[in-house]
Amino acid sequence: MPPITQVPTSMSLETMTCTRCDEGFEPQEKIVNSNGQLWHIQCFVCAQCFRTFQDGIFYEFEGRKYCEKDFRVLFAPYCSKCGEIVIGRVIKAMQASWHPECFRCQLCAKELADSGFIRNNNRALCHGCNANIKASEIGKYSCQKCHGIIDGAPLRFRGEVYHGYHFNCTSCGVELDSTAREIKSRTGFAANDMNELYCLKCHDRMGVPICGACRRPIEERVVTALGKHWHVEHFVCAKCEKPFLGHRHYEKRGLAYCETHYHQLFGNLCFVCNQVVSGDVFTALNKAWCVHHFSCDMCNTNLDLKSKFYEYDEKPVCKKCYERMPSELRKRLRVAHENTMRKN
Amino acid sequence: MSQVQCLPVAGKNMSKVKKYLEDARDNETRELELIDKNISSLDELPNIFSLPFVTRITLSHNKISVLPPAIANLNNLEILNLSNNHLEELPLSLSSMPKLRILNCSINRLSTLPRGFGAFPVLEVLDLSYNNLNERELPGNFFKLETLRALYLGDNDFEYLPPEIKFMRNLQILGLRDNDLLELPREIGELGRLRELHIQNNRLTVIPPEIANLDLYSNKSVFKMEENPWVQPISEQYLLGISHVLEYIKTEAYRILYNRHVTGGKSAVPIPPRADKSKKASRARS
Repeated sequence: MPPITQVPTSMSLETMTCTRCDEGFEPQEKIVNSNGQLWHIQCFVCAQCFRTFQDGIFYEFEGRKYCEKDFRVLFAPYCSKCGEIVIGRVIKAMQASWHPECFRCQLCAKELADSGFIRNNNRALCHGCNANIKASEIGKYSCQKCHGIIDGAPLRFRGEVYHGYHFNCTSCGVELDSTAREIKSRTGFAANDMNELYCLKCHDRMGVPICGACRRPIEERVVTALGKHWHVEHFVCAKCEKPFLGHRHYEKRGLAYCETHYHQLFGNLCFVCNQVVSGDVFTALNKAWCVHHFSCDMCNTNLDLKSKFYEYDEKPVCKKCYERMPSELRKRLRVAHENTMRKN
Repeated sequence: MSQVQCLPVAGKNMSKVKKYLEDARDNETRELELIDKNISSLDELPNIFSLPFVTRITLSHNKISVLPPAIANLNNLEILNLSNNHLEELPLSLSSMPKLRILNCSINRLSTLPRGFGAFPVLEVLDLSYNNLNERELPGNFFKLETLRALYLGDNDFEYLPPEIKFMRNLQILGLRDNDLLELPREIGELGRLRELHIQNNRLTVIPPEIANLDLYSNKSVFKMEENPWVQPISEQYLLGISHVLEYIKTEAYRILYNRHVTGGKSAVPIPPRADKSKKASRARS
């Protein structure tokens, strides 16, 4: 602060004394006036080095004035963050001094000088981060708006968690709760600051498809099958639970299966070639067969629906081959067959 | 002795067969059928082993007693049907055939299998029914046939099924009818893909409760268990139906009964005699 040098006019010279030496002033003598205090010019010097202030600039500390050099040496605070001397506004906090721009939240790096801070575990934190930590310690979320603990389910919006009641439905204006749905209003934009919130009722009316597996809205690609919509990665084989990802699926009794498991479960692998039966399936003896593979197990003679065949170990044998079997075996097969017939 | 008399007939027949094989070579026929041709030895038909394009050979209803190891020259063979012959043994070379998927040796006179027989790389169906095999004659690596989906061992002389059966984890069909089985291993319950189990006509009194783990009661499943001296609770449930048996063996009561049976109760029940097999064609001496 530059001092003002002037000749007082309104005060009486007899009663005025120098703040430093307590002596009076000579008439016509130049007097220094600084904040109402008066000095001889030779007395208005640095309390440490007794030299006049360069450019009239001095620093005051506990009523004494110091030149810049001595003030720095004796009293100036050093910033705990950057190590530089703090000139001007000093933040005294956490038993140290700081530049205002150096005193920041240790978690989110927000400036704390004007917003205040909370000491948490020997760290200076902003109110938001402190609330988050407290909430996570008790297994809950803290609202990003009011920093209060969220009891119950949080409302998720643009990647953060909130109390639902801070928001209203974009469409009908009703106060929201955790069931509100976040909609990307402009698909194709990666940033989620385009997202908007809707109550369930308005959301459903907007026709956004809901995944049949996870019950969440589908904002990316939609698979439509079995009369429902699915996230691509949620439309999976009912047996192996691997997503079809565009591969062919087979439907049976309201469930979808991959090719392998559909045929494994519903038996359309041919007994002879062990391949998926393409075209007509011949079902006999609890097995499936390609039409051209349904033949006598002993001579390969092709059989059809009208052919008479005998069952040997649940395999078909034509009449001719059956008659070539050992008679002893035929007799036992006949008895076994008759017994089965009798039981059924 | 009868062979001597048949020689002229066989000779005439053989020339027809040889002609057939020559045509097959010229036309590169992929599927050979020599059914009921009175063939007694393949040594008379050396050409048959030099048809590398052949994928299927059917030699059913002949009188072949020896299968020459040269059969393994047929690199593309997928299906070999030797049912109803006079085979007494098989060559080890068979099990190295790279594409053989189906091997039918039913109705023969096999009383042993070569050591190392379980080495088939892609075998899916193996029919050894109606022979003279038992568990002591199986080679050590027999159950290493992991690719097998159907194994037919019906009409043989098995008294026990080795627990190593569990290693055939792709098995869907297991035929064990008409043997002398006295018990089944619990490990049979580990064959998760099994859909057909034939154990009719054995000497079984109990079945492992683990069998209830299998899916043997669906429209694609077959479980044949008749003609066994079952303990009374099982035979009672069997009269009601297979599903009742499979439900009953899940119960704690059955578990206790089964455990008592396998740990010492056996001596209390007389072991039923083996079936008389003297009339089996597989017992005939050549």
